[in-house]
Amino acid sequence: MTKFVLARLASALLIIFGVSCLVFMLMHLIPGDPIDVMLGETAHPTDKDALRKAMGLHLPLHIQLLHYLQRLLHLDLGTSIHSGRAVTTILLERFPATLELGAGAITIAMLVAFPLGIFAALRQHTVIDAGAMAFALTGVSIPNFWLGPLLIMGGALWLGWFPVSGRNGLLSLVLPALTLGTAMAAILSRMIRSAVLEVIHEDFIRTAQAKGLGATQTVFRHALRNALLPVLTLLGLQFGALLSGAVITETIFSWPGIGSLMIEAIQQRDYPIVQGTILWISLMYIGINLVTDVLYALADPRIRLRHPS
Amino acid sequence: MALHSAIVLTILTLTVGCSEPRSDTTLRFGLANTPANLDPRFATDATSARVNRLLYSRLIDFDEAARPVPSLATWEQISPVHYRFFLQPTRQPFHHGAELTASDVKATYDFVLDASNHSPHRSALTLISDIHVPTDNIVDFYLNKPDRLFPSYLVIGILPANLIRTNHPFHEHPIGNGAFTFIDRPDDTHWRLMRQVDRQYVELLRIPDPTVRVLKLLAGEIDMIQNDLPPELTAYLDTDDKISIQRRQGANFSYLGFNLQDPVVGQHRIREAIAHAIDRTSIIHHLLHDTAHPANAMFPPKHWVGDATLSGYDYNPTRARALLRQAGFDEAHPVRLTYKTSTDPIRLRVATIVQDQLAHVGIDVSIQSHDWGTFYGDIKAGRFQMYSLSWVGLKTPDIFRYVFHSSSIPPRGANRGRFIDTQSDRLIEQAQATQDLHRKSEIYRRLQAHLLHVLPYVPLWFEEHVFLARRNITGYVLSADGNYDGLLTVTRRPTSTQLTRQESHQP
Repeated sequence: MTKFVLARLASALLIIFGVSCLVFMLMHLIPGDPIDVMLGETAHPTDKDALRKAMGLHLPLHIQLLHYLQRLLHLDLGTSIHSGRAVTTILLERFPATLELGAGAITIAMLVAFPLGIFAALRQHTVIDAGAMAFALTGVSIPNFWLGPLLIMGGALWLGWFPVSGRNGLLSLVLPALTLGTAMAAILSRMIRSAVLEVIHEDFIRTAQAKGLGATQTVFRHALRNALLPVLTLLGLQFGALLSGAVITETIFSWPGIGSLMIEAIQQRDYPIVQGTILWISLMYIGINLVTDVLYALADPRIRLRHPS
Repeated sequence: MALHSAIVLTILTLTVGCSEPRSDTTLRFGLANTPANLDPRFATDATSARVNRLLYSRLIDFDEAARPVPSLATWEQISPVHYRFFLQPTRQPFHHGAELTASDVKATYDFVLDASNHSPHRSALTLISDIHVPTDNIVDFYLNKPDRLFPSYLVIGILPANLIRTNHPFHEHPIGNGAFTFIDRPDDTHWRLMRQVDRQYVELLRIPDPTVRVLKLLAGEIDMIQNDLPPELTAYLDTDDKISIQRRQGANFSYLGFNLQDPVVGQHRIREAIAHAIDRTSIIHHLLHDTAHPANAMFPPKHWVGDATLSGYDYNPTRARALLRQAGFDEAHPVRLTYKTSTDPIRLRVATIVQDQLAHVGIDVSIQSHDWGTFYGDIKAGRFQMYSLSWVGLKTPDIFRYVFHSSSIPPRGANRGRFIDTQSDRLIEQAQATQDLHRKSEIYRRLQAHLLHVLPYVPLWFEEHVFLARRNITGYVLSADGNYDGLLTVTRRPTSTQLTRQESHQP
């Protein structure tokens, strides 16, 4: 198992290096000049040149990349063009909000998806199944930019139970987490249903039933456990996406997370923050994938045994 | 976006409940954008400039006609290159208790002028050759060339010299001597300020989505908002009896720009035809819900170089068709143009309407909408035939050199249409050389009349400023340039419940 984890870690580091280089190159390819953003169009060319020199932007691209990678090793992502604050500090300030929203959304998604998916599978071709799948289809189809304001209207204006937006206590988490969790619950419930349906007709389930196990024990101890592998992968990917910031939901609910930070930075053309958030998002995906792989290997010994390492 | 707004408006009409506003005394002001930098030496965005006005004092301010007027100081022109500023005898100390003196003014401007500090405001102030402080209350500015508009440039908030020396992080912990002190920034969406005169707390909240901003206002979670709303939302709130609305004509100038080196729009007749083919009144009424006023020049008539007598191009499709025929175009050989714009939904809607109106006179327009970086890059590089943009926050007429002088073609300026016209150049140079302000304004008026004739831009409209608040909010005065100075006087009237509670506590 240690060898497996080390191998995955090494490949993750390689991917991080590749992503860092790619992000750096992309930021130099997109239109716009950070010097213009910092000094304004009206600045004198000599001032622009001086700042370009001070920031090392006059150097050949490969040297700039080398400097960038050196700074990365010290966790230095530069400073915001507009606020002058360290990008790492800003990201660390914003991450708890994203983590909170992600955890809230995934909790809601799991609370809804597991019972819905399992019941739909166990009662295949019944009204429950049809209802569950109708929910799944609706949940996947409703865009967040529409569901968000709708939930605000219902939960904040009609009922007055929750604040319209902002991050101020547990109540303020409900509507954004619900917005984000609905689509995820829909996808998950479909996945759980088909995974349970696949294993429910297997021989080992029949054996379990023949041994006289009750329906609950058969489902939870045997069927669900074996159906969990693809669900785990999906959950990992979804959580990775959530930790990288839910751009639309965070913007609608003025949620101060990574997603809204990236949008603000793009709008303000704050290149170091854009670069930092893209790298952060990549790291989140890589990290979550690594954890998923390890969990996968723990859940299914065949995977770690098959691994070349 | 239109569909989104329509859905939201429909549901709003059906559902809006009457939530009670919060009972605490903090006033909450919803903003569309973050104040990016609370250090006035580096701030460049409009929101930061508006918030910084509350936290710091500046030497001068502007009156309704955008003429410089005393703020922290009065001034006297000792010679064409020497201005003396006298600090007001009664002035607020800095928020950390120290007195504001002339040395603080010098330290602030010296910092900005020091090239190694890379302040974005340096280029506007490079005409300052030296700053002297004869006494604690007097600052002398020496210029390297005469400029009668010089006082207009001294709008940077003054910082304490001792904190400048110690590299105090003003962007994180602003310390000025403005009417408001900075309390804290709990996260990137909240800034808390305190009005010094009555210790009234004001919270600035960043709510980027306009619909959510409106919903928060209706729910009473915020007390007021200003600008940055789609016109249909403003029109909707105008009918809501819980909300009061103030409007004021603004100076943000929208226009259609042309590439004068293009063989088609480089022809004066074609530009004139376009000016006659656009029905601005209809666009302002139907699309912008009367939140704009037609423009005939870059500066509105009430500006000190503005000209109320300028008459623009009336909507006249027949005249437009005739002009196109004179230029050799007809139905068999229509004019084909590309119109570049950003992805902003309102700008896209304007482009679509202009496309339709121009089609009626035989101009076939194809719209190209790009993200801001690509769009702006294309405009600066001259890769366009026609585009639309706005000039925001214009105060001094030296902008004419920057935008229309032949020496200002990018990257040396913002003459993006590559407009080369000897008469315009001569008028700009004359106006800048003239030291008499009355004469200067006359020349600028002639220049604007000339520009309206040769049409490097087709002027569209000036956007209105709009302030919306809950009914119990009083005392906010909407300013001509859309700043937030209304927060200096705004108060919340106690609700009837609060009044009853107060009365029941009377002995």
